[in-house]
Amino acid sequence: MLKEMRTRKATVAEKSLKRFQYLHDWRLPAEMDIAHVQQTFRKRLRGWEFREAEQDGVQYIRADKGRWNKWGYILVHSAILVILVGGWMGSEYGFRGNMAVPEGQSESEISFLQGTETGHLKMPFEVRCNSFSIDFFPTGAPKEFRSNLTIIDNGKEVLTSDIIVNEPLYYKGVRIYQASFGDGGSDITFKLFHMDGSEKISYAKVQVYKTWKDEKTGTSIKVTDFKPYNVENMANPGEPKDFQDLGPAVEYELRGPGLKPVKIKAFMNPFIDAKGVNQGSFLMVSLTGDKQDYKPVALGLDLTNPVEWKLFHAFMRQLAVVGKQSKQANLTAFKKAMAEVFGEGNRPEGFQAMAMRTLQAINMLSALPWPLLPMLDDFDQHYYTGLQLAKDPGMNVVWFGSAMLVIGLCIMFYMPHRKLWLIVRPVSGALHISLAGMANRNHLVFNQAFNDIFTQLDKDFAQGKS
Amino acid sequence: MTATTAETGFATMLNQGRWAWMRFTAYLGAMAGIAAMAMYGSSGAYEENAFLYQILSMKGLLWGGTGALAGCGLAVVASTLKPTLLETKMARNTVPWLDGFVLMVILASIWALFEPSQSQISYQDQSNLFAGRVIMAMNVIFIFSAVSYIAYLFAPESFIGRIATWSAYAGIYLGGSALLLRWHESYLFDMEIGHAPVSNLYEVFILLFCITAAVYLALEKRYQAKAMGAFVLTLVSVGVFFGIWLDSVGQGDIKPLVPALQSYWMKIHVPMNFVGYGSFAVACGAGMAYLVRYRLEASGGKSKMLAIFPSLEQLDQLAYKAVAIGFPAFTLATILGAAWAAEAWGGYWSWDPKETWALILWLIYGAYLHARVSHGWHGKALAWWAVAGFLVTVFCFLGVNMYLSGLHSYGRLT
Repeated sequence: MLKEMRTRKATVAEKSLKRFQYLHDWRLPAEMDIAHVQQTFRKRLRGWEFREAEQDGVQYIRADKGRWNKWGYILVHSAILVILVGGWMGSEYGFRGNMAVPEGQSESEISFLQGTETGHLKMPFEVRCNSFSIDFFPTGAPKEFRSNLTIIDNGKEVLTSDIIVNEPLYYKGVRIYQASFGDGGSDITFKLFHMDGSEKISYAKVQVYKTWKDEKTGTSIKVTDFKPYNVENMANPGEPKDFQDLGPAVEYELRGPGLKPVKIKAFMNPFIDAKGVNQGSFLMVSLTGDKQDYKPVALGLDLTNPVEWKLFHAFMRQLAVVGKQSKQANLTAFKKAMAEVFGEGNRPEGFQAMAMRTLQAINMLSALPWPLLPMLDDFDQHYYTGLQLAKDPGMNVVWFGSAMLVIGLCIMFYMPHRKLWLIVRPVSGALHISLAGMANRNHLVFNQAFNDIFTQLDKDFAQGKS
Repeated sequence: MTATTAETGFATMLNQGRWAWMRFTAYLGAMAGIAAMAMYGSSGAYEENAFLYQILSMKGLLWGGTGALAGCGLAVVASTLKPTLLETKMARNTVPWLDGFVLMVILASIWALFEPSQSQISYQDQSNLFAGRVIMAMNVIFIFSAVSYIAYLFAPESFIGRIATWSAYAGIYLGGSALLLRWHESYLFDMEIGHAPVSNLYEVFILLFCITAAVYLALEKRYQAKAMGAFVLTLVSVGVFFGIWLDSVGQGDIKPLVPALQSYWMKIHVPMNFVGYGSFAVACGAGMAYLVRYRLEASGGKSKMLAIFPSLEQLDQLAYKAVAIGFPAFTLATILGAAWAAEAWGGYWSWDPKETWALILWLIYGAYLHARVSHGWHGKALAWWAVAGFLVTVFCFLGVNMYLSGLHSYGRLT
């Protein structure tokens, strides 16, 4: 092939001429000047390369266009090799792994999956996460995840920069990407409601991913996650989606002697329904520990209001005094409880809703098997930023190969190699002229082009004749 | 010079020689200018906010205009050094389309006047936005065009053919301007929400219709292959019905961009991909036309339709031509996607389902080209190949988005 490119034979054997797909002939008077005919041919093909030859009295001119089309072919196929080499370099000498850096802390090791095991690799520097923040669209969807990172090399802070998704940081050949985020051990304060009827409330401070244990009851709370925003679809099935932020929630596993372990997501705020009515505090409870099995549990009471907890217990006691279970008895008991908590004749604002909640709580709270009901009281949030660190020494090779590939493809498809021959053969009192053409690609266009050239030359020769 | 060329002399002059060449380089320069503005125009890094208005503002005019002037200047220098450049075919062939794009922008600006007042616009209910109506008009026009093309097969009157062609053009203009209008509308909810209209399945579907029709019309214009339109526009019409369905299930709404998509790469990678997909659709249309003609010829060759069908040889070439447009575009799109992935996901290739299927598709069309060029395959087998290749394209585009999860899951139905 290369040899063919170099030689570019100008002559065409008589036998092979007949096999040309594009071929036209003229018969011109013998007195026509051959040089003039050839000059016309050259003039009509601007930007072509020519070669002339003479053999056995026959004059040949060969015209070439897009001779480098073959290079397109070579470029494309070597590009694929280059890309594969780049890919191999990346997999052999590069790495890609993740690290989770809690706010305020630093990390220098990445972990990655190696088959089924987790591999670890020490970076030549440390990454400290100064802060992590999420920005939201007005619709509540996350808009931006931003980490402020400091690179510490040999104990020295060398670089501080923000990264977001799509804008990684580059240091010492390693790219640092914003990949994920999560809770980095937020401080959680639980408000523990003692369910033994003692009306007692105590507090427990714990961090996410840590376990708090109550010595007396043997109950343990293992905090698994905390989220300051919980956007949930509040629409009934079949209705158009209606996303609402239910506020901060903590997730924990509750265990204790004689208790079936459960996973609980406890919300800080009571649920306010679409009409603005306070429906009391609530939990999501999963008996399997699986997130899909979360069932909402309305507790009835608004546990953020300590008075309601008091009222509930007063009501319980009064009910026990009244003894009977009837509507009338309930009402009497509730009135007495109200008087006990708020003083005779005092009725706080919204006491009717409070009554509804207390009634509901009687059914709900007493059905709960847990000795303690941990609710989210306060939090101090710390994120961790999930970073992906990657080094790929083969990447630039891949880009180089890609550029070769695209350029090669363009040459291959859009600059076809076209060849034309003008063969002048003096025969018995006339000039026999043949125009032969050949293209390695895109015959549709070449067909048109060849016919155009033929018509043009035909006109030119006719003029030259007269 | 004959009478016909004299009549259209002015238009042809504009689209040929010096004028076409200068305009071509001016467009290229303007694009480079806008790209430069995106990268270096604002003080910090690239800002997605109100990019459309940045282009349409004084700032965009300055950057784009400087680029255009620089392009013209370079064109003058280059064509003085090498006069054959004035005859560059690429300039002649692309300039009318670039002019058309400018017209599309003007059209979209006109549509924007029909937008409901700001107080009527709400993110929750987007049904009163004007782009929805323009898209509906596009749907109707494309279906009408497909019907006309089919009618043309049975009644080859040149005026039916003209109606078919013009309605296809109208469809492209409506679709393109509707997308541009959607871009504008996305800012009407909130400046922060606004983004280029290539972010979800519905939008890219409209893009796909327009590109498919445009690639087809380019071929029709150059090779008088009108009979093929019946097949291509039918494919587009099937897509139109799918698009209508998507909209009816609420997938047509404008939604804010997830962080991973907030990148200028999206504006390059996605449309480039659809140049590939659209061309493959046209190749499929040519393949189907080939198979139909083959059938007609085999059954005696007396059908009147044969008179207007391009020859088997031509259809074969047209399918190749369409793949020759689509394959480099698809290759480039995949590479651009890899470049984006290297910037967003930590690696240029992650064997995500979309990437894997893109590779499969690339290999299928690569094999098509090899079968044809190196092994001299022609005719029926390759026509089937073009049709089957398009089925894989559809899976790569739709199936992967809808059924396989992965890093490309933004294209999913929600």
